[in-house]
Amino acid sequence: MVVGSEVPNLLEPGAAATLVVSQDLDVGVPVSCHAAVKGRLVEMLVAFTPSPEEPSVWTPRSPGLLEVNFVGIDPSRDPTDAYVFDDDQLPLLVFGALSLVTAGAEIEIGGTRVRVPRRAGLILEKLVTDRTGEKGERDLLVALGLLMTAGPADLEEVDAAYSRMRPELRHAVRSNLTVLSLLEPRLGMPDPRPWRATVAAALRRLERLDGDAA
Amino acid sequence: MTPALERRVREQRARVLVRSWDYRQRHHARGVWFRLRRVLAEASAAFVVAPEDAAALVAEGCRADPVGEALEPRKLIVFAAAERVARIGSARAVPLRLGRDVLEARHLVLTPFDPAP
Repeated sequence: MVVGSEVPNLLEPGAAATLVVSQDLDVGVPVSCHAAVKGRLVEMLVAFTPSPEEPSVWTPRSPGLLEVNFVGIDPSRDPTDAYVFDDDQLPLLVFGALSLVTAGAEIEIGGTRVRVPRRAGLILEKLVTDRTGEKGERDLLVALGLLMTAGPADLEEVDAAYSRMRPELRHAVRSNLTVLSLLEPRLGMPDPRPWRATVAAALRRLERLDGDAA
Repeated sequence: MTPALERRVREQRARVLVRSWDYRQRHHARGVWFRLRRVLAEASAAFVVAPEDAAALVAEGCRADPVGEALEPRKLIVFAAAERVARIGSARAVPLRLGRDVLEARHLVLTPFDPAP
């Protein structure tokens, strides 16, 4: 399942890919599927080679392709947890926040079937993940790209998942939304300025859910 | 485990620890940054104004947000309608971000978003 910054592009009508210029392609691998994925890597990724320093990253042999970054998904883990699923060939850095992500539709692009996550879970994963600097800002702008294309049903799903989160994580989501609302435009990413009212509305909506804006 | 993955896990856990501390401090001094961002998030634009103009807005009943009192030096942060701000001669628009203009301002006027149609 694709879980990174390419998702807003893939979820656009016709996978138009106008929202985000990705630096890499994050592929989420449920740890329960690790053996099956590993077994098909060499056969499927002939145009890539694993990085010797970090074998979860596969670098392209030709310049026109994005680097592929495999990350682990373990639904049993807490969203704040992180651990390494160790393996000689395909070790995975398992981010607990990815446990918020659930599988969505399978779309077809150029004859390749791609599984994308449900929007709501990825929005919350991006908003609860605590990264800093450029990577952190890019994550928040990916969340914005997902919000920009979200429908009422997606927002209701966000509400439901948010309500199940513990207070510290809900605060992290709201805190990151405030950071997102004040971000400067960044080349190759959605411009947050025209969407500030939408972000403010999302904040108020979440605050109403827990009745605690603190 | 490769050193790179080990380092990334360590960094991730450290960030979570810092964030947990931030959360526990949210009602204290550390939390003022979240509260300030939260207020700014509700603004469509920000203006630095002269002290007397800010005081006049408060006298007219415009809402002053308490987060300004939690900062040192204190700020007067007032919400006012864009039409009212347009009549303030001293009003100078500043970028809505936690940058120098907003942080240095002692009298800041914020305009709310238009209500959804």
